[in-house]
Amino acid sequence: MEKVLIKTKQSFKFSLKKRFLNSRFLMLMIIPAIIFYAVFNYVPMYGVLLSFSRYSPRLGLMGSIFQNWIGFQNFEFIFNFPDFWNAFKNTLIIGSIKVVISFISAVTVALLINEIRMRFFKKGVQIIVTFPHFLSWVVVASLFKMLFDETGSINHMLEMAGMSKVLFFGNPKLFLTLIFSSDIWKEAGWSSIIYIATMAGISPDLYEAADIDGASRLQKIWHITLPGIRPTAILLLIMSVGGVLGAGFDQIFNLTGSLHNGRVMDSVQIIDTLIYQYTFQSKTITEGQATAVGMFKSLVGFALVITTDRIAKACGERGII
Amino acid sequence: MKKVGIARLPLANKDKPGPSTKIGPLDIIIFFILLIYALAVIFPFYYLFVVSITPTEIYANNPSLLFTPKVTFEAYQNVYTNQAIWNGFGITMILLIGGTAYQLFFTVITGYAMSRNNWFGKNFVMNMILVTMFFGGGLIPYYLLIKSLGMLDTIWVMIIPGAIDTFNMLLMRNYFASLPKELEESAKVDGANDVQIFVKIFLPLSLPMLATIGLFFAVGNWNSWYNGMLFNHSQNLKTLQQVLQDIIVTKSSTIPNPHPNQINDDSLKNAAIFFTILPMMCFYPFCQRYFVKGIVVGAIKG
Repeated sequence: MEKVLIKTKQSFKFSLKKRFLNSRFLMLMIIPAIIFYAVFNYVPMYGVLLSFSRYSPRLGLMGSIFQNWIGFQNFEFIFNFPDFWNAFKNTLIIGSIKVVISFISAVTVALLINEIRMRFFKKGVQIIVTFPHFLSWVVVASLFKMLFDETGSINHMLEMAGMSKVLFFGNPKLFLTLIFSSDIWKEAGWSSIIYIATMAGISPDLYEAADIDGASRLQKIWHITLPGIRPTAILLLIMSVGGVLGAGFDQIFNLTGSLHNGRVMDSVQIIDTLIYQYTFQSKTITEGQATAVGMFKSLVGFALVITTDRIAKACGERGII
Repeated sequence: MKKVGIARLPLANKDKPGPSTKIGPLDIIIFFILLIYALAVIFPFYYLFVVSITPTEIYANNPSLLFTPKVTFEAYQNVYTNQAIWNGFGITMILLIGGTAYQLFFTVITGYAMSRNNWFGKNFVMNMILVTMFFGGGLIPYYLLIKSLGMLDTIWVMIIPGAIDTFNMLLMRNYFASLPKELEESAKVDGANDVQIFVKIFLPLSLPMLATIGLFFAVGNWNSWYNGMLFNHSQNLKTLQQVLQDIIVTKSSTIPNPHPNQINDDSLKNAAIFFTILPMMCFYPFCQRYFVKGIVVGAIKG
């Protein structure tokens, strides 16, 4: 008995060494990845500890964390910082409205494209509507500025027609509408692709059976197509909840002219723009305080994902964790 | 098969037609909705282009034009002779060629190593990579890291940190893992090592997936502005997107206009935007299927 045990131990050791030698090329291939992830992901991850200390350029990132430890002072500061709560509220509002409208628009576009029968037209529409996704927000914001700005084409036309100007970039409500509609314009087509692919995977037998039962097209959409994309939709919704707190830095940054549009900034200031504006533009909060804001955001985001996942599981759906 | 059989049956009740291939009112409604949607997507580009080729005297009197009776390419000439735009174009081309090759290389070799089961410590490395998809340090620690690495105000900051994109790496891994195991086994019997197997067998088989991922990287590099804005403050290192941002979004610079009577500033700006979009517009219709493939495969397996 004992002999056998020793033998297996030996062979295990031997196989470990052999495995190591056999896979030396693979391990060589993974070394760059280990270095990159360690430097560019794990060092900053460790750097969140800066939210408990005061940064001084002389000491560097690591030195500041160890020698300038100040406990929860940074958090106390940001929780008493009025703009922080405004930004947090805006982030939640803008982020969740975006999740809802992008979900609805993607499913609607997918249904429409799925139902159209002219193959050539279908292909063409798909190519056109997925295109804006590949433009940067710099370009999309430029397009929208040229059209809707105070001196843009729409207002130019209104003026020529003798009407008064509409300040899309000056009125918070109109500006929010612009944010949401530019988001739909840019992303709806692209987000619909995944739903179209799922719809293509629904068994044709179901539709044939419905035909035999004399179901109308709308009935087929309601009773077959929509339930067919339900698992995908819920999975994507859960995943998009993680991005709610992102809310779109690139978009807001570019549409507000690098955060300088004072007339609307209060209603579209989100956490990410707050961090950028106050640390890089006005330099009124310290590195440690900004890190604390970032850490708060990550924690809330994580809690949101966990909660949504639990809710989905409680409703009998497959979660992601 | 059944469907054909039923469709051929003579309809007893004309009021309740069964499944027909005829075009009904619903088809027409859907057609028009999609047509309007597609036009709404195209219209800004079209309008932009028309304004960019319209001479001042026509545009000033009638900005709501959908076509112009008189065409001038003077605005494009100004863009063409603009130093800042060409400089940005140069930087963007460096990112597009160098950056894309660099990212593709590291992402693909990592994806391959991750797709093989037989090496020591694989699961540990995989978990460490997956953790980074959910947790990050945030902007400030990252900025301070880049600063301490001495990469501020260099072109490297826009290339080096982006070596491995986790999502694309996983796409690649899943693709390699889906290829038959026998390929590797038979090559091993013939005495090939892992590098030979990878280069001579797996890479040639995965060209479509390489194209997909390469295109995603290329688009990302063409659109790059965030890293440049954050880390570089020198005028010479601005990407094309940043130059456009200066001209239109922040209005901190302009394109010099030597003939304000012939071309107006709107035409100039529109020409600059159009110049930035044009390469994408030319390539996109031919590459669209690769992008779609990438996202569909990624969503189903990832």
